[in-house]
Amino acid sequence: MLARVANNLFWMGRYIERSEHLARYLNVNYFSSLDAPNEISGSRQFVLRSIMYMAGNEIIDSKVELKEEDVLYNVGLNMDKPYSILASINNAHNNAKSSRDIISTELFESINKINHSVKDYSASDFVKNGLYDFTLMITKSTSELRSKIGSTLLHDEVYAIIMLGIYFERALQVTRIINAKYSDASVEKAAYGELSVNNYQWTTLLKCVSTYDMMRRFYKKTPTRNSTLEFLILNSKCPRSIKSCLNQIHKYITILSKNRAIPTNSAAFLIGKINAEFDYKLIEDIDDNLEDFISELISNLILIGEKLEEDYFKITDTIAKIENKKTQAQTQ
Amino acid sequence: MKKSTQLPLFSSYEYDSRFYDELFKNNNEVREIYKTLFKLFGEYSVSEFNRLNNQAKESFFNLGITFQVYGSSEVKEQIFPFDLFPRIIAKKEWETIEKGVLQRSKALNLFLWDLYHSQKIIKDGIVPLDLISTSVNFLPQMKNLDVPEGIYNHISGTDLIKHSDGNHYVLEDNIRCPSGVSYVLGNRNAVKHALFGVFNKYKAQTVVDYGSNLLEIMESVKPKGVDNPVCVILTPGVYNSAYYEHSFLAKQMGLELVEGRDLVIENDFVYKRTIFGLEKVDVIYRRIDDLYIDPLVFKSDSLLGVPGLFSVYKKGHVSLVNAPGTGVADDKAIYTYMPQIIKYYLDEDPILNNVHTYHCSRKNELQHVLENVDKLVVKPVDESGGYGISIGNKLSKEEIEKVKETITANPRKYIAQPIMALSTHPTYIEESQSFEPRHLDLRTFTLLGKDKDFVLKGGLSRVALRKGNLVVNSSQGGGSKDTWVLK
Repeated sequence: MLARVANNLFWMGRYIERSEHLARYLNVNYFSSLDAPNEISGSRQFVLRSIMYMAGNEIIDSKVELKEEDVLYNVGLNMDKPYSILASINNAHNNAKSSRDIISTELFESINKINHSVKDYSASDFVKNGLYDFTLMITKSTSELRSKIGSTLLHDEVYAIIMLGIYFERALQVTRIINAKYSDASVEKAAYGELSVNNYQWTTLLKCVSTYDMMRRFYKKTPTRNSTLEFLILNSKCPRSIKSCLNQIHKYITILSKNRAIPTNSAAFLIGKINAEFDYKLIEDIDDNLEDFISELISNLILIGEKLEEDYFKITDTIAKIENKKTQAQTQ
Repeated sequence: MKKSTQLPLFSSYEYDSRFYDELFKNNNEVREIYKTLFKLFGEYSVSEFNRLNNQAKESFFNLGITFQVYGSSEVKEQIFPFDLFPRIIAKKEWETIEKGVLQRSKALNLFLWDLYHSQKIIKDGIVPLDLISTSVNFLPQMKNLDVPEGIYNHISGTDLIKHSDGNHYVLEDNIRCPSGVSYVLGNRNAVKHALFGVFNKYKAQTVVDYGSNLLEIMESVKPKGVDNPVCVILTPGVYNSAYYEHSFLAKQMGLELVEGRDLVIENDFVYKRTIFGLEKVDVIYRRIDDLYIDPLVFKSDSLLGVPGLFSVYKKGHVSLVNAPGTGVADDKAIYTYMPQIIKYYLDEDPILNNVHTYHCSRKNELQHVLENVDKLVVKPVDESGGYGISIGNKLSKEEIEKVKETITANPRKYIAQPIMALSTHPTYIEESQSFEPRHLDLRTFTLLGKDKDFVLKGGLSRVALRKGNLVVNSSQGGGSKDTWVLK
């Protein structure tokens, strides 16, 4: 597979997954805040800030008054904002287009259709009363795409690259969602004390990641801070937990590095290492210092992303490697 | 002009007896071959047909068989116009066409070898030297270069028209990078989905075998010493208007679609940059024009090509499909010599007619052209895509004077032909909600390889959608339709 095309496919996977998380975060946070149990979590400003934070565009200045319509439009359908769902779907489409010779006709047709319907979605309808409909359409669309990826592509390295992109993005987004909701909970805790937070933010968090039902089945108890974090970070049966994502990333990088040496500091090596660490991690190890854990995890993921780029996608590097080999051959 | 029928879908069908109408005979009777099809279309109400038409259009849209239209504020995606009424070609008629286009492609191939080697045809006085020496499409870099298996025009697109006398005439040969074949397959699918009932009643030849034949042709011209050649398609990229076709062909053949930046030259071989490092490439079907393939040899500012590609080609380490320099032979001035060229190399009479052509480079013919601009089509010899063409009976007095001036300034650049009466075919016009006769031509696709040739059965029937218009190129607002060659 061409390095350029691999890069396109990796990013196609990432943007598909990113669109879904953005859409769900928008949906769950907005709608759950409408009948929130306390004033802070029901406050428009609080929810809008949380949404902007998740979109990767945190508003730090506390004096800025956010307008609901602007936030919804920017995160949903503003093509000029690189963090919008529209831009994300559009990027997925562009990446699919420049590799359409190797993805299936079915997959391309789906992504093309979805791109058209997102582009044609009326912005005024969306801000006025289309939030539910639109976000639902996105989550439906992304699951259609995942299904086409799974069932209409040969499960070879092309598939492995796309899946790598999907799980990489999922690991990153779930981590960020935990971070966002954890910080929301901290704000409430500071204002009302431990008890008042009860399970509202944890339930919202689980719903944002689409894991609420799974979690209830697993623990058969109302979610608490500990059980929620344990479930989302360390449960290997939950397909959206960070541990599961790392497992999958490891599985797909193994396909790509099959029969090849894995030098220390390569992407495959780093992924194997972090995956092994997670195998023996307990919630007690994380619990005391969640902020540090999360920021370390994020920087590890970013490092892995950079290594993936170096090892597989960089066009210039493949030449450098050859040149390297040539000079080695000459000195021998 | 007369009304042909009272049927709803044909309420505005007024055919012009000056042209050969492929559906109706002069006595208003439907031609035998179209009777079943016409009966089916006659049964549709306008709304039923509109629904079918819209479904077909939607499927083109969803598949991304589109091009971009740049408006004042936004970019819009549009499908290439196509028409659901298929064109039918009888078995016998097709046999002549097939033999004829193959004959031309073979003759052109021998002509190219000769031009880039000993130039016997010039020495023998058949083709004048100045026609070649003044051609901008003659590539001196190709001189004495022995192309793999002696094939230059692996892929030829021959444009034919059906004149009012009922005979086919060749309008031009395209042997650089003829495009349009993906629409042949796209149109066929659309028509199959919309009119499956009628398909059962006609035994049409398949068109899906184009990809596998092209792949065989590509593999047959592999460089010496290669057993299992790695073939790729080279595209200018996603912004090229034919990108859909490039990706479609890659998918049909299971080949990789590469851009110039994906290829690199190392030790006189071509490699592609993959996730596992460099892999050798042996045969390149390039959809990039000659002058852009290698900035070291041709246009130095080209970012589309691969620096060093031509020197690898020269060493015989990679095959290019089509070979560079073929443009010299599909020049519209060379076209007029085709009967002699066929005779010279194959010792055969041409099977297909040429349209009579006046060379403005010849003094007495130039005189005739200048006196008759209003009755002639004047074409620049080295342009493609329908650009620069003037059609005499459509011009005002001032425009005629202008054309005369342009020709006089550079006579070598122009040829003129009588205005040909392109046949008409029923084409659905949305404004009138009815089929109307529109002019059309036929682009056939011929493949040449080592010990193998292939002609796609059918081809692309291109329709001029504007009433009375004779230029069918898609860049001039043309559409296309499915073409059935009967078994």
